[in-house]
Amino acid sequence: MEISFACWLLLASFGASAFGSTLGMASGIFIVPILTLFFGIDMHIAIGASLVSVIACSCGSASFFLKNRLTNIRLAIVLEIATTLGALTGVFLIGIIPTLYLYILFSAILILSAQQMLAQRNEFVQADTPADRSSWATLLRLHSSIPNYRLGQNVPYQVGCIPLGLCLMYGAGLISALLGIGSGVLKIPAMDTVLRLPIKVSSATSNFMIGVTAAASAGAYFVRGDINIAIAGPVALGSVLGSLTGGRLLMSLPSEKLRILFAAILALLAIPMLMSVFGFNAFQGLRHE
Amino acid sequence: MNNFVMCIDQQNHTIATLLWYGTCMASALIAGGLLIEFTHLSPRFLFDITGSGIVNIGIALFILLPIARVGLMLALFLSKRDYVYTAISAFVFIIIGVGFFIAS
Repeated sequence: MEISFACWLLLASFGASAFGSTLGMASGIFIVPILTLFFGIDMHIAIGASLVSVIACSCGSASFFLKNRLTNIRLAIVLEIATTLGALTGVFLIGIIPTLYLYILFSAILILSAQQMLAQRNEFVQADTPADRSSWATLLRLHSSIPNYRLGQNVPYQVGCIPLGLCLMYGAGLISALLGIGSGVLKIPAMDTVLRLPIKVSSATSNFMIGVTAAASAGAYFVRGDINIAIAGPVALGSVLGSLTGGRLLMSLPSEKLRILFAAILALLAIPMLMSVFGFNAFQGLRHE
Repeated sequence: MNNFVMCIDQQNHTIATLLWYGTCMASALIAGGLLIEFTHLSPRFLFDITGSGIVNIGIALFILLPIARVGLMLALFLSKRDYVYTAISAFVFIIIGVGFFIAS
């Protein structure tokens, strides 16, 4: 291990994670492009390191959400069946899919995430109608409530269509294992629109789930020896410190401008990722050899 | 109802504690390992282990942490005799186990 290389990795992942968590985003979507484009690290090694950092951020921030009773842990474990199955599929496929396609897929996810960042997340208005007695969510006792401290009472919510939610979560797990990201781009529509969760519950529950999803694929990569310690170590440490710092900044920054900045950066990262497909590296001069 | 809320809170608290202390420990191991690696200290007080060996343990701990969380949830559901959720937790546990098994 070289000290300057490790310090740069630590700083870069600290920055990416602090920045990402100010908008409640997993840092993976920034970490993989940073590692491949700026540090010239192989895509597969970058994915492994990013998965470890995704786990670290998920575990580090979970306790805050749990203690505030925002995480729906029953829903999380039900959906984890689909995300871990998706992750397993990803572990199978990653050896078969050429790296070229991973770059194309990553660029597409970056552009979709940028677009999603610009769109407002709409909170589904919960009707006061009684829950459908035969729905999966009722049978699995998933309906719950969130504490509203201003009103001083618990506000109940109902969980929507579980089968469709499971399908989308399978896709999210697959993308997560293939690209080393938290795949918020698939989880946000699944949780907000299909499962109709309040935004806070949606963010907390998806943050809780991503740790297990990433562990399913990272575990397999670790056993296979695909996780490079010299890279994953500093990246995980930087990310966990960054996410704890970023979470504190969350309250003080104007979020509208931040969202536009985010969308611009995501879209801009897609360009060099796509260029890599054709053999160009926009940041050749900055590479650490 | 109050009793039910308290029960869920206790469960959340136990899981939160596991994840928080696990994160602290894994981060400390990685930080310590990197420090030993770069200062070329060799802590021979326990046994012969290198800095990168300690970083490796830290990373393994991070990967095991969410899996331990599923195990803890399984135990918590079982203690409440919630057999449907015990089975669901066990199923997630098995899927992860299959991944490890196939990879090795």
